[in-house]
Amino acid sequence: MKTLFTLVFILLSHTIFAAEQAEEIFAQLTPSLYQIKLIDKASGEKSSIGSGFQISADGIIATNYHVISSYARHPEKYRIEYLDYQGKSGQVDLVSVDVINDLALVKRHVDLDMPYFILSDKKPIKGEQLFALGNPHDLGMIVVPGTYNGLKKESFNERIHFTGSINSGMSGGPVVNKDEKVVGINVATSGNQIGFLVPHEKLVTLFSDYKKNAPTDIKQQMSAQLMANQNKLMSALLNNTWQSKELAGKAMIPIIDVPFIRCWGDSNADKKDALILAAIANCSLDENTYLSSHFFTGSVEIEFRYMQAKNLSDNKFYHLYQRQISRAGAGNRAGKDDVTEYQCHHDIITPASTAGSSQEIKNKSIFCTRAYKEFPGLFDVLYLGASIDKNQQALVSHFTLAGVSKKNALAFTGKFMEAVSWK
Amino acid sequence: MEIIKDTEHGCTATEPMTSNDLPCEQGEIIIEEITRNHKLLHRHRLKQSEISIGRGYHNDIILTDPHICPQHLSLSFSQGAWRLNDNNSVNGTILEGSKSSNKDDHQQVINDGDVIVLGKSQLRILFSDHQVADTIAFSPFESLIDFIRHPIAVFISIALFILIAGNISYLNQPTETNISQLFVSAFSMSLLFALWPAGVALVSHLTKHDPRILAQLGISFSFFILLWLSDLLEEIIAFNASSNSLLGLISTLVPIGLAFSLFWLNSYIGFHVSAKRRIVVALSITALLFGGTYLLQYSKKPEFNPHPQYNATIMAPRYLMAPSNNVETFLKQSDILFEQANKAAQQD
Repeated sequence: MKTLFTLVFILLSHTIFAAEQAEEIFAQLTPSLYQIKLIDKASGEKSSIGSGFQISADGIIATNYHVISSYARHPEKYRIEYLDYQGKSGQVDLVSVDVINDLALVKRHVDLDMPYFILSDKKPIKGEQLFALGNPHDLGMIVVPGTYNGLKKESFNERIHFTGSINSGMSGGPVVNKDEKVVGINVATSGNQIGFLVPHEKLVTLFSDYKKNAPTDIKQQMSAQLMANQNKLMSALLNNTWQSKELAGKAMIPIIDVPFIRCWGDSNADKKDALILAAIANCSLDENTYLSSHFFTGSVEIEFRYMQAKNLSDNKFYHLYQRQISRAGAGNRAGKDDVTEYQCHHDIITPASTAGSSQEIKNKSIFCTRAYKEFPGLFDVLYLGASIDKNQQALVSHFTLAGVSKKNALAFTGKFMEAVSWK
Repeated sequence: MEIIKDTEHGCTATEPMTSNDLPCEQGEIIIEEITRNHKLLHRHRLKQSEISIGRGYHNDIILTDPHICPQHLSLSFSQGAWRLNDNNSVNGTILEGSKSSNKDDHQQVINDGDVIVLGKSQLRILFSDHQVADTIAFSPFESLIDFIRHPIAVFISIALFILIAGNISYLNQPTETNISQLFVSAFSMSLLFALWPAGVALVSHLTKHDPRILAQLGISFSFFILLWLSDLLEEIIAFNASSNSLLGLISTLVPIGLAFSLFWLNSYIGFHVSAKRRIVVALSITALLFGGTYLLQYSKKPEFNPHPQYNATIMAPRYLMAPSNNVETFLKQSDILFEQANKAAQQD
C-alpha cells in the first residue's frame, strides 16, 4: 500500500533519550536554536509553530517551508516571530524559500555577530549517530539521538532516512553530527522512529543562491521552482522506457521504468459472488509538494483496471462498468483559492499505434484540466480512457498529474493513450 | 324547469306566441345560476313576462344565499326588452356587462349574456336566440384516447412499464438478484407512478368533470414509457456524441416536450377548458417540474467543485455508431481546454 506521509506536526512520542554526548551538544548549540511562530495578525495568537536554526552571523535562520507556508501565501494575514532560548522574541522577514525541498530562510535583526550552526561539508555514513534538535509540541527545546540510514529509497526529491523520533513542532530544526555540523533538517515522519530529513546540500544551495541573488518576490520564486521541478519530473517520465506489460493476460499497459514510480496490484479473484472479475494495477509517485495545508501538488497517479463479466448481459456489464468510471477525482488536494474548476471534454478514440491490428482498442477518452491561480502555466490534469469495443471485457486506463505545464501534460497524455491496447 | 303562472297581464305561457302584436307580451328567457368562476350550477327556462327572484319561497327562482333578500329583484318583459328591477334589496344588485344606456333609478335593460350579481350569487341571462359556439369536431386525439383507454391497452402499457422498471432495477443491482425481488420493486414503482393519473382523475372528479380514470391511466403510462425511451435515446446520443456536439443539447429537450404533451393530454381528458388555458396549465406544470428540478440542483451546487464534471456514459458496443478519432485530434481539443482554464484562472 501507499506509504502515507505525515508531516511532522502529527505524531506524538513520550520517551526522550539523552545521552551524555547529546547534553553537551545541546548546551553548546542552544543559543542558535529558535522556535519559529506564525502569528495571526487579527487575533494576535500563534497559528502554527516549528523550529529553526541560525546559519549565519548576521541573522539568517533556516526552517521548513511548511512551517511558514501560510505567511508565504498570505503575507497580509500573518507575521513570523522567533523565540530564542532566553525567551526573547522578535519579528523576522521571509527572504527565500525552496518549496520543492521544503526549506525557507528567514532573517532576524541582529546588532552584533551571533553564534551560528556550521553546515557540514560531507555526507554522513550509514549507521552514524546523529542528533535531531527542535521544540516538539511547544514543550521546549530537546535533542533526540538517532541513526543515519542513507537516502530514502526510490525518491524523486532526496530525503534522508533517519531512525529516531521526530515530532510535531520539530519541523525545521537541525540534525547535527558529533562535530556539531548540520547534516540535515527535520521535515517529516512516517511513525515509529522513522523520520525524514532534508539533506544539508539543499540548504547549502539555497543559502548560496540567496547570498548571490536574493529573490525579490517569494511567489515568483515558488512559481519558478514548481515549473522547474515539473519539467525535471516530466522529462524523467517521458524520456525513460515505458515497458509494455500484460494485465490479466488480456491487455497491454505501460509501466514507466523509473525507481520513484512504484506500482501495486490487486484483484477480486477470491470473491466468488462478484459479478465482475477485476484486476487492478496502480502506480504512483510516493511524494508530493506541500504548498499549504489544503494545497498539494507534484503528484502522479496511474491506474489500470481490467474487468471481465461473469454471467452478465452486455447491458448490465456496461451499466456496472459505467459506475466504475463515473467518479474519477483529482489526485491532489486543492481549494477554491488555489485552482479553477475542472474543464473536461470527451471523444471516442482509437490510438493509431494499434489501429487495424488485433490489438486495436476503441476508448471513450475523457480529459480534464484545471489551472493554478497563483502559479500561471501550471495545471492539474486527469485522463480517463474506457474501452468500449468488447461486449464482456473492459479496460480502464487512468492517470492524474498535478502541477504540470500544458506541453508536458499533452506530451504525457499522447504517449499514454498510444501505449494502452488489448493484447 | 318551467313555471306557469298568471302574469299581471293575464297571459299564460301555454298560449302560443306567434308575433309581438299579441294582446299581451310574453318573453322567453333562460336564467343560469353560475359560480363565481362562471361554472354552471342550474339552468332555468322561463316563458313569462314577469319573473321574481329572491330567498322567499313564493319566488319563481329561489336562491338560498343568505345575502339575498326574500324579494330581491324582479325581471319584467315589455316593449320587446327585459328589464331588471331591484326591490330595494339590502345588498343591492349589479348588472355586469350591460351595454344599456337606457337606465333609470331601478330599471335597467338586460342584454343577452349579461350577468346579474346579487348577494354572493351570480345569474347569467340568456335569450333563446343566444349564439352558441361552433360545434367542436372530434380531434384525432379522441380516437387515440379511445384506443388507449381500452382496458387491454391500459393493461399492456402498465405491464410494459413494469417490465421496463424491472429491467432498470436489474441493471442497477451490483449483486445477484432474483426475479421476485425485481418484480416487487417494479410493481411498487408502477403503483407510485399510478398516483399521477389517479390524482388527475380525482381532481377532475372533484371539479365536477368526468374522471375517466382508464383514459388517464392509459395516457400516463404510455407517456412514462415514451419518457424512458427518450432517456435511452439521450443515453445513446451522449455515448456517441463528442463533448462539443449540439445533439446532446437537443436530446435534453425531448423529455421536456414529452412531459408537456402528457400534461396537455391529461388536461384534455380530464377538464373542459379553453385550448389557450389548457396550454397555459400544461406549460406551467412542465415549467414547475423541470424548473424546480433545475433550481434544486442549482441550489445544491457547491461554490467550488474540486471534482471534475464529465459525461461518463458508456454502452455496449452495439450502440456505438460514431466513428472514432485519433489521439492527435483529441490532444488538439484538449489544448483548447487549457486556454479555457487559463481564462478562468485570470478571472479571479
